[in-house]
Amino acid sequence: MFDKKSYTLYKFHKQINQSFQNKRELLECALPVLRDLFKLDRVYFFDWQQERAILSLKMMCKKEYCMDMQEDISVANEPAFLRQLLQQGVAETTDLSYPALYVLIRWLRPTMELKAGEVHSFMREKVGVLRLERFRKNRVFTNAEIDLIKDLGQEISHNLHNTEIDQAKNQRLSVSTALNDLSTIFASSLRLNDGLELILKGVQRYFHFDRVHLYLTNSEGTRIKSVLGVDISGQVTQESGDSLREEEKQILKEVFDSSATYRAKRSVIYLPLKLQRTKVGFLTFDNILSRRKIGYLDFISLQQFASQMALTIDNARLFERVQELSNYDELTKLPVRRYFNEKFAEEIYRSKRFGLSLALIIMDIDWFKQINDKHGHQIGDWALKAVSKIIRSSLRQTDVPCRFGGDEMMIMLPRTNSEEAKVIARRLQERIREIVLPDRNAVEPEHLSISQGISSFPSDATTAEELLEKADQALYVVKQRGRGDFAVYREVVDQVQQTDTKDADEKPAPQK
Amino acid sequence: MILWVMPDSGAKTMEDYATLVALFKKENPSVDVSVRVFTRNVLWRRIFTLKDPTHEEMPDLIQIPHYWTALIVKAGIAENLSQLDPGLSLTDCLVPLKENCYRPGTKDMYSYPWWFDLSALHYRADHLKLVSEHPEEDLKTWEGLLAICQALREKFSDVSGYYPMQNSDWRGSLSMRSALPCMWSRGLNFFTEDRAATLVGSKEFKEALHDYITLALKEYMPILRERGSLGTIVSGKASMMISRKQGISMFSARRMRVRTLPVPAAGDKSAAYLSGMNWFISTFSQHKKEALQFVKFCARPDIQLRYARMIEAFPAFEEAFEPFISSSPRLQVYREILSSAHTLPNMVIMGTVMEILKRVLAVCATQIVENRFTQASLDRELDMTAKEIEFLLSIYKG
Repeated sequence: MFDKKSYTLYKFHKQINQSFQNKRELLECALPVLRDLFKLDRVYFFDWQQERAILSLKMMCKKEYCMDMQEDISVANEPAFLRQLLQQGVAETTDLSYPALYVLIRWLRPTMELKAGEVHSFMREKVGVLRLERFRKNRVFTNAEIDLIKDLGQEISHNLHNTEIDQAKNQRLSVSTALNDLSTIFASSLRLNDGLELILKGVQRYFHFDRVHLYLTNSEGTRIKSVLGVDISGQVTQESGDSLREEEKQILKEVFDSSATYRAKRSVIYLPLKLQRTKVGFLTFDNILSRRKIGYLDFISLQQFASQMALTIDNARLFERVQELSNYDELTKLPVRRYFNEKFAEEIYRSKRFGLSLALIIMDIDWFKQINDKHGHQIGDWALKAVSKIIRSSLRQTDVPCRFGGDEMMIMLPRTNSEEAKVIARRLQERIREIVLPDRNAVEPEHLSISQGISSFPSDATTAEELLEKADQALYVVKQRGRGDFAVYREVVDQVQQTDTKDADEKPAPQK
Repeated sequence: MILWVMPDSGAKTMEDYATLVALFKKENPSVDVSVRVFTRNVLWRRIFTLKDPTHEEMPDLIQIPHYWTALIVKAGIAENLSQLDPGLSLTDCLVPLKENCYRPGTKDMYSYPWWFDLSALHYRADHLKLVSEHPEEDLKTWEGLLAICQALREKFSDVSGYYPMQNSDWRGSLSMRSALPCMWSRGLNFFTEDRAATLVGSKEFKEALHDYITLALKEYMPILRERGSLGTIVSGKASMMISRKQGISMFSARRMRVRTLPVPAAGDKSAAYLSGMNWFISTFSQHKKEALQFVKFCARPDIQLRYARMIEAFPAFEEAFEPFISSSPRLQVYREILSSAHTLPNMVIMGTVMEILKRVLAVCATQIVENRFTQASLDRELDMTAKEIEFLLSIYKG
């Protein structure tokens, strides 16, 4: 048969011996049980900070409910009380006008610590204190009650130990899952920038950071090239490295000189992204506004993630570089037809969607076949290079030129109507006419010239194929007229219809 | 619908909310309302994790100190009430409470007033009679308060554990909220007029904070001691207290003769701290309509009056405030106090600034208890704090 005390202990054990997610959940279950068992008005749970003699209140349970708390009470000036509590495990306060009993609780919990930049995890004894209050003066705690409370305290200690171990395991598991998810998202995004945005947003959401920033640097780590960030509202921001404030630029040296570091009372983390000698950039995570500390577990997890991220960014950059090379013609350094077609389709879509104009120039070098035949392919290549150089330097950043094949080139001019396209065509015509072929034997300088056909969206055509066709027809008219000029489809549409199919290339050799 | 509220009505938060919810449900029987109580510290942390979709329980309506409005807007967690209900108005709301409902610089309302309280000096008439013939006159200035404290300590020297001032801070620590009147009384503020820089590092601010800390330094007020918790005026171990109106509810319950005066002026004129509580509707709420219904219900004059009486604070709307304050001659002093009241500015970083200053005062309190406090150490802390605030201002404007 159980005696009354054993039975109470058994009942208490049954009530609180469950799987709790965290310490808070356990206390939310245990404190009301204590309150009801001993007919208490309030029960408190404190963490005990021995070195500072401070009781940090974590939870309070009143008649109606339990509440998370976060307050410190110093007992430094109460040595007798302290001695009694630490030696005997229980102490009664005499300060209050009603009975209040303190019970010491000890348990082992997994802990982490940062030493010389490294995070170490180990088990540490944790001490907590329960305070039980009865508001009526005459309802003092009897010795039997105190004994029972001490035993129940042991039971709580045991459960705290188990819960904290489970919590640490679950926390690690959820962090690894989160980082794994993020890596998968990153790996599956096609464009580096999109991937980085997703990663930063994901890290902010999983770890609850106020802000997350990625600073990308040159490979020497001496200059910040750009900053991608997610602010507290989840908005993505992008800045060029040149527009940063001086103090922000100075972080650079500090970050690469050390390994990952905590700053500002553990509310900021800097993580350098490097691969042996190559520096990729660095990440910053901050809780400056909320002033929440960043846990060691998050710190080491992000540190490991940073190495993976550095490698991925470096690979992605390499991939982009390879892609860039495959998109450009080696001889002329102009984009190739495939790349042009992609951009052209995108731009047509955009122009339709937002009602914008778009012009297309199709051109070729006059008498290019004859130049090759007369001077050799080396000079032919030289001519192509010279013309493409002029094209590259004469266009706006938004314009897209391309080598379409042989001596045929195209230029897409977004947000441009046919009149504006004519200005560009004239500029190209004039500048290219100044190119002289390098022939030592030539008596007179041999100038290059080009013929250009222009079509525009939406007045001439509304699809990529039609625009190409119309520009080509305009070019054909120019060739028929004798070359070295340009024409806009709409202006020569009558001639296009009347033109016979005679090959313009049958006409005489270029002018000298 | 889930409400997150703060335990601002003393020991009876849940009871009071149960009464309120029962009244609401009488009119809206189909709406289920659950109430969760969180302390300010816990709520502060939870505000920043509200966006997490894995959050166990998503609240619909949240009670916050009104100066957090700019923050919740910036964090993107609050619903624009002006959009949700264009008919919702602040016309009848008390003037000092209005600004803290809007997104700074706009007329877009993101939080709605619930109730407010005012800081004042409360004293035991029977104790003060022993040291002063005219407490109203003697307690007009901070010097006067210190002189009265000294006289009281001498008078009650034989009472063990006696302090002239009771510490109204729940933790028994130094509280920024109690220090604020000293700052405003000197005509100071946290920020320059354009809110582009902080004045926390200024000589005047340091002096203002020192005025308040003097109470602990001269041992007129207990700090970081369990005996500093509420109950000492009741037990005869303290005579005065600077606190909100709610803080003295237990004295009236025990029929003690406690009188109220404006907080003694540390500078040219007395100043009070007006602390307002507002509601905001979470952007992620699935019950925005019901939450709005509850907000409007709380703003109704009859409910305002009833709840203010329950929790011993003040109604936020004129129509309830006037009958409330006129109901007792003892409340008349609050008209004067309200006229000199200040609120914390509605800025994104204001909550953080209060957290930082709370930490500074916690350091001071520990130093005082351990006899290591010096004015130089406080000045150093405040200089560092000023730099921290300047940095925050550079990141979060508005």
